Amino acid sequence: MKAYVLISETFLRKTSLRLVHLGWLLAYPLIFLMPSLPETWQWGGLVFAWSGCLLPLILSAGIFGDDIASGRIRLVATEPIRLSELYIYRFLGLSLQAAAHLLAVGALILLLHWLTGRGSLDRFAAWMLASWLIFNTWAALSTSLSVVVSRDHNSMTLVLATIILFFPLYMLLLFFEDSVGTKIYHAFVRYGCPPVEVLVGLGQGRYSLPGGVASVAHSLALTVLYGAAGIVLLNNREFKYAAD
Amino acid sequence: MSEDGSEMAPVIECREVTKVYGGGRAGRKASVCALDNVSWQVGGGTIVGLVGPNGAGKTTLLSLIAGLLFPTQGSIRVCGHPARSLEARRSLGYVPESPAFLSCYSARAVLKHHAALHGLSKEAISTEAERALLQLRLEECADRAVGGFSQGMRQRLALAVALLDNPRLLLLDEPSNGLDPIGVIELRRILNEVRQSGATVIISSHRLGEMERLTSDYVFLYHGRIVKFGRDKVEQTGHVRIEFLPGSPRVTQDVLAPYDVVEESDTRLVVAVNGVENVPGVVGSLVKAGALVTGVALEMQDIEETFVRLCRERAS
Repeated sequence: MKAYVLISETFLRKTSLRLVHLGWLLAYPLIFLMPSLPETWQWGGLVFAWSGCLLPLILSAGIFGDDIASGRIRLVATEPIRLSELYIYRFLGLSLQAAAHLLAVGALILLLHWLTGRGSLDRFAAWMLASWLIFNTWAALSTSLSVVVSRDHNSMTLVLATIILFFPLYMLLLFFEDSVGTKIYHAFVRYGCPPVEVLVGLGQGRYSLPGGVASVAHSLALTVLYGAAGIVLLNNREFKYAAD
Repeated sequence: MSEDGSEMAPVIECREVTKVYGGGRAGRKASVCALDNVSWQVGGGTIVGLVGPNGAGKTTLLSLIAGLLFPTQGSIRVCGHPARSLEARRSLGYVPESPAFLSCYSARAVLKHHAALHGLSKEAISTEAERALLQLRLEECADRAVGGFSQGMRQRLALAVALLDNPRLLLLDEPSNGLDPIGVIELRRILNEVRQSGATVIISSHRLGEMERLTSDYVFLYHGRIVKFGRDKVEQTGHVRIEFLPGSPRVTQDVLAPYDVVEESDTRLVVAVNGVENVPGVVGSLVKAGALVTGVALEMQDIEETFVRLCRERAS
């Protein structure tokens, strides 16, 4: 029951979350209706970007920050529950929402593709797996950030940090492609940050079977790493009165 | 005594607890010492009031016991277990100063949610939630969204949450905030029931009159330091009223030095004594000065008078 109430809370905590899921799902049929849609359009890539990368930022906004700021955490944190459990169940709540959302998206796209024949469904299953994996990575990073960032600023912080991190990489690659610094920076972004590039490769079928398995393992390992950091932060956090 | 030996342990045990806030990086923010070397023990079955002016450290002390803050120095144990441990949290219920709930949840859903966090079975969750709704008389609004609750209703719901699973220690931070007079009477009834069940209640409140009716012991906090005193001590630190026969020689302040004369008339003197042990000395001085003493009585100080006196003493 403990797991159930904590997992369901991640979906019920804001009425707007139901509207977010609905809005995200509605975007797919709208794109199907676009007249200028190229025939080579990859539905998998769109799911990866729209539901895999953007949705977790919306769903995890303020997942701990709102509670900490409102003081609700002062009631929850005095209950006989480990703070690590609280973190894990909240993350699982997001991950399960993503799984249900992606299943609905998959069914919707298959139906629309069958009805209209528009776009391509090449490697759709691999894209769906990659989407769920990248969702989990972003969700874990955002949830951990929410422990230390006030209110629901965790998502915006993550968006800004991503832009700030990627812009120098783009410039470095443009001007100093072969320098050691660029290579180290590139390796950090590729393997230390949410593995967008690696999982896009998985969706596009760039890897052999062992390479694909390694990319999945890498993504899961990063999710665990971000989650562990969040648990450590939560366990060492003080819950003061009126944080904001 | 229980198997783990926790039965004999005090319900709360603070040892040389210091809490310093802030300082910030590079000392840009001034650090504030909210609690300074506080040692305190509380046994079972009592209602203790935390009294002190704003900023005395009452909420900090409650938060430390609840495990919401870490002490800078010292240690705190709740029912024999370190504060913030799972066992300590299993023993306590906490009502914060401004309780907050998920606004879309109903009161019943909130209670079931918190009962589930206690690890109860599905049936026990429903039973506990219904019991709490009845106990706090929240049945009528049980299925209303908490977002529309008044402050008093939120306060009652927070108390209902804290009472789930019969805690051995109840920590209440300004529990009568927003409660109407009936709500305050109800609160008193509930807390007395809790005490009779053997649990300990710690209340922080500014409503001293209300505290006096609720509590069996006080702890006075001033600038992060603790001055513990029980009701007996309150009585002893009052004034002594001395009655004379008419026509007694007038008593001057010199006769009574170093005690202060608070009130004076032809037949009566009220003297501030520093403890009941000084009364015979005061009376002896008066008799030596020729006063025809007919009666001596201790005037009891209520908590408000004691609070003001202690504040003045500490400030000076």
